[in-house]
Amino acid sequence: MKQLKAHWWKFLGVAILVIVFLKGMLVPLSAGIISVSRNSAKPLENLQLVVKGYNTHFKDSKGPQAWLKLDSLYSIQCSSFIVADQTTATVAFWIPAGLPYEGTRAPLTLIIDNEVDGTSVLPFAVSFVVNDIASTGQGWNVEALEGLHERTHTTYPFRNILNETIRNTYFHVPLWFGMMVLFIASVISAIKYIRSKDPHDDLKSLAFCRAGILFGILGLVTGAIWAKHTWGAYWSWDVKQNMSAIALLIYGAYFVLRNSMSDNDSQARIAAVYNIFAFVTLIPLLFVIPRLTDSLHPGNGGNPALGGEDLDHSMRMVFYPAIIGWTLLGVWIAQLSYRVDRLKHKLLNH
Amino acid sequence: MKHVFIRIFILLMLVLPFQLAAQDGADYSRSIGKIYVVVAVILVIFLGIVIYLISLDRKISKLEKRIDNE
Repeated sequence: MKQLKAHWWKFLGVAILVIVFLKGMLVPLSAGIISVSRNSAKPLENLQLVVKGYNTHFKDSKGPQAWLKLDSLYSIQCSSFIVADQTTATVAFWIPAGLPYEGTRAPLTLIIDNEVDGTSVLPFAVSFVVNDIASTGQGWNVEALEGLHERTHTTYPFRNILNETIRNTYFHVPLWFGMMVLFIASVISAIKYIRSKDPHDDLKSLAFCRAGILFGILGLVTGAIWAKHTWGAYWSWDVKQNMSAIALLIYGAYFVLRNSMSDNDSQARIAAVYNIFAFVTLIPLLFVIPRLTDSLHPGNGGNPALGGEDLDHSMRMVFYPAIIGWTLLGVWIAQLSYRVDRLKHKLLNH
Repeated sequence: MKHVFIRIFILLMLVLPFQLAAQDGADYSRSIGKIYVVVAVILVIFLGIVIYLISLDRKISKLEKRIDNE
């Protein structure tokens, strides 16, 4: 019991992470559409689309429906929906003679709905190419889509390209949050050292910095692995990747600086001042510059990822605990490192 | 106290693979959903922390040696 009182936050962190692993890996993704067999449609043809679904249950569902949607007003309902297996179906549409507005080309969004999976959407699935510029409303459905189903069980949202890697929200993203907390703790200890000249504050600052850079490096490596499978290259010289690498190099120099000095007192003092400088550069590098320009990274190009559809309610329930869990783990790592350094310090000044 | 935690840990280790296997049949198309990227990410984080533990282990060994020599 005494153990539990002193180390409760370590158990809490590990317990949270176990739940995060279980929930993060076992909850399935929503049904989605991966691909369609054709990407363009001509006027007045009977368009046959072979639809490849993901986590869909076409065979189990009773009345699957499909639409090609032009905008909030106009859509085309499918004329037939032939199910091959759970994830494959052939959907047929009668394409109208022209567009309801003037124009020669319009992207159509494919919407599939059934009572088991709910509604799945593939944006810009088919491009409708018309030769005649004159508009016609004939053949278009002008009623709002009705009878759409909500999915019944808990799932994570299906996003094209992201697919299952949306789960990295619980593993890659909280590492950066944890790193931020550790670097803040490090700079606070550094300021404390400058005021108190207590060598223990310096050692704390060093330990937090070490754990922070470990999280940062892991964040960068896991980000690169993910980028390889979504952006096509480990390093795409994306602003987010570049700036976080620069930030880590600046923090890496902190250790070089420490090791280059033998005198304990000046080492601690210069390290503390450098730590504050590194922290001040960290803020614009991670939070300002990536938001000023376009980035491939999810949630970038103006807005942070915490809003929007990429992080829905079912994911927040895991994501927020994940931040707490990973941060507690980081603090634990830092504490172990500090305790070793403290013993070494005591031994040297014995 | 310690035994309880070890037991819970062993239980988790036993249950996890079964749960994962049961899940596998439900959505067989997971392989095209890039699930291996998530697996690789988790593995890298785990190995990174293990490497850190090894370096800490060596530091403590040095410290122990020094204390023993005194």
